[in-house]
Amino acid sequence: MREITYLEAVREAMTQEMERDERVFLIGEDIGAYGGAFGASFGMLEQFGPERILDTPITELGLTGAATGAALVGMRPIAEIMFMDFTTLASEQLVNQAAKLRFMFGGKASVPMVLRTPGGSGTGAAEHHSQSLENWFVHIPGLKVVMPSSPYDAKGLLIGAIRDNNAVVFVEHKLLYKMKGPVPEELYEIPLGTSEVKREGKDLTIVATSIMVQRSLAAAEQLAEEGIEVEVVDPRTLRPLDPKTIIQSVIKTGRVLIVHEAVKTGGFGGELAAVIGESKAFGYLDAPIVRLAGKDIPIPYNRTLEYHAVPQIENIVAKARDIVQGKV
Amino acid sequence: MATDVIMPKVDMDQETGTVAQWLKEEGDEVKQGETILEIETDKVAIEVEAPATGILSGILVDEGETVPIATVIAYILEPGEALPDQAKPAETKAEAPKSSLETTVRQTDWEVPATPVARNMAEASGIDLAGVSGTGPRGRVTKKDVQDALAVPKPFDNGEGKVYATPAARRISNEMGVQLGNLSGSGPDGRIQAADVLAAAERGVVTAETIEPLTPAAEVEVIPLRGMRRTIADRLTASYQQTPHIGFTWRNDMTRFNETRAQLNAHADKTGSPRISATALIVKIVGSALARHPWLNSSFQGEEIHLHRDINIGVAVALDTGLIVPVVHDVAAKSVSELAAAVKDLSTRAREGQLIPSEVRGGTFTISNLGPFGVEEFNAIINPPEAAILAIGATQNEVVADNEGQVVVRPMMHMTLSADHRVVDGAVAAHFIADLKAALEQPVLLLM
Repeated sequence: MREITYLEAVREAMTQEMERDERVFLIGEDIGAYGGAFGASFGMLEQFGPERILDTPITELGLTGAATGAALVGMRPIAEIMFMDFTTLASEQLVNQAAKLRFMFGGKASVPMVLRTPGGSGTGAAEHHSQSLENWFVHIPGLKVVMPSSPYDAKGLLIGAIRDNNAVVFVEHKLLYKMKGPVPEELYEIPLGTSEVKREGKDLTIVATSIMVQRSLAAAEQLAEEGIEVEVVDPRTLRPLDPKTIIQSVIKTGRVLIVHEAVKTGGFGGELAAVIGESKAFGYLDAPIVRLAGKDIPIPYNRTLEYHAVPQIENIVAKARDIVQGKV
Repeated sequence: MATDVIMPKVDMDQETGTVAQWLKEEGDEVKQGETILEIETDKVAIEVEAPATGILSGILVDEGETVPIATVIAYILEPGEALPDQAKPAETKAEAPKSSLETTVRQTDWEVPATPVARNMAEASGIDLAGVSGTGPRGRVTKKDVQDALAVPKPFDNGEGKVYATPAARRISNEMGVQLGNLSGSGPDGRIQAADVLAAAERGVVTAETIEPLTPAAEVEVIPLRGMRRTIADRLTASYQQTPHIGFTWRNDMTRFNETRAQLNAHADKTGSPRISATALIVKIVGSALARHPWLNSSFQGEEIHLHRDINIGVAVALDTGLIVPVVHDVAAKSVSELAAAVKDLSTRAREGQLIPSEVRGGTFTISNLGPFGVEEFNAIINPPEAAILAIGATQNEVVADNEGQVVVRPMMHMTLSADHRVVDGAVAAHFIADLKAALEQPVLLLM
């Protein structure tokens, strides 16, 4: 299969869905002539014209509100928020309107929109351009939250998100944009709410999200050389969560490490730990459920500090080894 | 009797107390609960009440003196009572701390070379720097040394009677009937891991909790529940509570069974091969019926039902001390002669306590024969996780009507099958029973 980047996979999903369905359009800041802050919509203005590639002023609240309204009257908008940090500004429309309207109209209205936004650190962009705020939206009934970890998943899940009849927060990762991987040329949909085992193993389950899936897979390679067989599970959709795959894996291995980039306190790892603890897997746990997550600090500007603020491959290796060797 | 007045401990980390002021004097009458003195610790001043009613006597500690907590500082006597012999001035008087600053910053700390941050950390966390070995230049204590000292794990206090084990270890111990109490754990702080329980089960260790013998009432002989008795209690209680039992009772005409056995034994006597016990022949017949009815040769495993390919029949053996069920493995592959030898060998060694763990594990079906004791019929409790157990009664001559309706006397054996109704439906059991009964009544069918 041909290989393209994560960023190209995102662009291809949007392009092919726009070719297929004229209700799909793009709205955001600098997405037209500039091609998007990271180039996700590069060349799309030329193909689809300014009617369907809508550049807006710098107003996250306004563009999210416009997308919500358009979705309400039958369009299928894709709104881009340049950095996840600025979803704070879009939150009112997203949390109080887009997430609520379907319930408030008793199912007679729906908000089939996607809000795409890149999260995560590692680019030296400091406190205001590096955050991982996905769990804020996981907490809101009425929103779906998706975090693809590979080019293949990025395309399939984005198509699934566009076709979903609910407001979906689609969290991309800046460092993954350049990652290459096999992606089919045709349209394919990964339904939201399906976890996937990315690597099989018997000694430890690592449940990881977004870029931490890739770091966990790299860690699993190293651990395999020591004879430790790690199973890596990617929830892919945080809400709705597919717990079955995760629980089956924990029942198999008896040990679980949860890895995410967002800060530990109040992060998605706490929810995952509780889901596992409440499940049948409880009786199969042979070690405490351990979380490895971002430190409880804003992302520092200094590159060395930034590196140490979030889990890296060596941290995952060390923590996984400790769990399997019975040190925790 | 004299009541001691002691220096009370009023604070978590208090080691000494100072008598601030006696509010009552030597020889005063005091009432229980009345305030008799004030004491001071390095944090608080507090009033002390009389622990009894009587006469305050033999005051041992003067105002301003400091003594360790729990030191006797005076007595309360009943009228006319003399002071106890040991009532003499306290000898161990602790040095009174002059101020709280001086107690925390001990002179010795300044003698230990340490970096400023290490000194601050030690002070904040209450660590004595003198007890920390320094790895810095000229033995200087560094930040990392203090961190390491803080990280030394404290012995794990697992609380009274509580077992420290993982959820998986607890689940497996429940399933296998192994008591966690006396296992030593290989995990951090001695936590019992699943592997520890499996290893204990492998060794055949069924450790009982240590139970202190009760003081028995005169007419009661108290037998602590331990070892095999405990296992029997745990397993049968679990089976009876968790497994919906369904029972089936029927009679078998044993005329031809007895004839067949007599023929086999006549042949055995002639050739010198082992004699065929009734149990062995029943095991053979039950085994061949199970081969055709796999649902009876199965086990209920939570979310799944396992149909076993091997037919391993447990034969309950009564012991003086309890009951054990050695397992005859792979019944289908054994001749009746081999089965007779196996049953005899297992039951002999069971009574001698010579069985190894693998010989009591892996059963897929159990039979219990109380016929030799004259029991006509009984209900047995399923041996988990098996799906069924067959209870065999005595063969006795009974008056029955034969197929032509004629009254005849025949040797009849009563059997009762208990089955796990989650796995075995009534009709499934009935088909098995019909098959089993046919073969018992006409053992020649085994040849088919």
